[in-house]
Amino acid sequence: MSCGDPHDTDCSEVLAELWLFLDNECDHQRGELLRRHLDECGPCLVEFGLEEHLKALLARKCGGDHAPDALRHRLRTSIREIMLRQAVLGAEVIVQQDNDGSIVEVSTTVESHAWLSTES
Amino acid sequence: MPGRPTVIGEEPVPTDSSDQRAEDQGVQEETPEQRTARFERDAMPLLDQLYAAALRMTRNPADAEDLVQETYLKAYGAFASFRAGTNLRAWLYRILTNTYINGYRKRQRQPVAQPTEEITDWQLAQAAQHTSAGLRSAEMDALDQLPDSDVKDALSQLAEDFRMAVYLADVEGFAYKEIAEIMGTPIGTVMSRLHRGRKQLRDMLTGVARERGFLRDAEVAS
Repeated sequence: MSCGDPHDTDCSEVLAELWLFLDNECDHQRGELLRRHLDECGPCLVEFGLEEHLKALLARKCGGDHAPDALRHRLRTSIREIMLRQAVLGAEVIVQQDNDGSIVEVSTTVESHAWLSTES
Repeated sequence: MPGRPTVIGEEPVPTDSSDQRAEDQGVQEETPEQRTARFERDAMPLLDQLYAAALRMTRNPADAEDLVQETYLKAYGAFASFRAGTNLRAWLYRILTNTYINGYRKRQRQPVAQPTEEITDWQLAQAAQHTSAGLRSAEMDALDQLPDSDVKDALSQLAEDFRMAVYLADVEGFAYKEIAEIMGTPIGTVMSRLHRGRKQLRDMLTGVARERGFLRDAEVAS
């Protein structure tokens, strides 16, 4: 289908490749050809604008969730516990735990690591 | 790699300079403490992004938490094999996707939506046609008025493969090649899923906008 005006590249071809163009997946030469078509063809440009708009809308509205703090904390704790089990093979590890069993402080006889202390 | 029980992102993924750090080079002498520090420094900041993707996959916060936790523990376990200079974000997404597909999805109570790859010929035909500029700009304005929850709901209604392709491309901005690596499919399949997913999503959103009264019936006749 064509908008009726003569173009180097037919409208149907351009419309079929709009998403490739929008996603930056066209090679340079093809991209230039499509860009030129969009410059001179209003209907295709409007269609491109809508798809571009929709892509931006999704990016704006469907991301940005934050992981719960409890998950972050749980992960850090688990990772340190796994690391300790590994570290035990190579160095003596001193682990201090508070009453509920969570790790409060960890040090090794080799050197101490400030980043290992549990942030509260 | 056929025949291997679990492959979690062992193959190289495309380089992404933004994820690359010079000090990651030369990790062969790394101790568990150093590896953990590197993991905390590089992988933990991506937790929010991975959680958001897991939410879109599972459509449920409790399941998303479990999925992300499993993903991160696997990633930590395999971190020694992660090659410095490769794209950490894509590597993590790949583990997330594999974890979801290979194990997690089977345990989920919710039935898996079947991809409706065959019903969209009419939509494909429709995609290659112009409509009037006036209709398009009315549609654009109407979509802008939709609340975030409507857009998220519409995305969540897409079949899983379409949903992930659209999410990875449009929200996370991955290149087709990276999406193909993450989803373990050829690039052609990624393009087809994206094409159909976006088309369905746009139709769905236009429908919601009409229901909400942001778009009059006459304006969406195609």
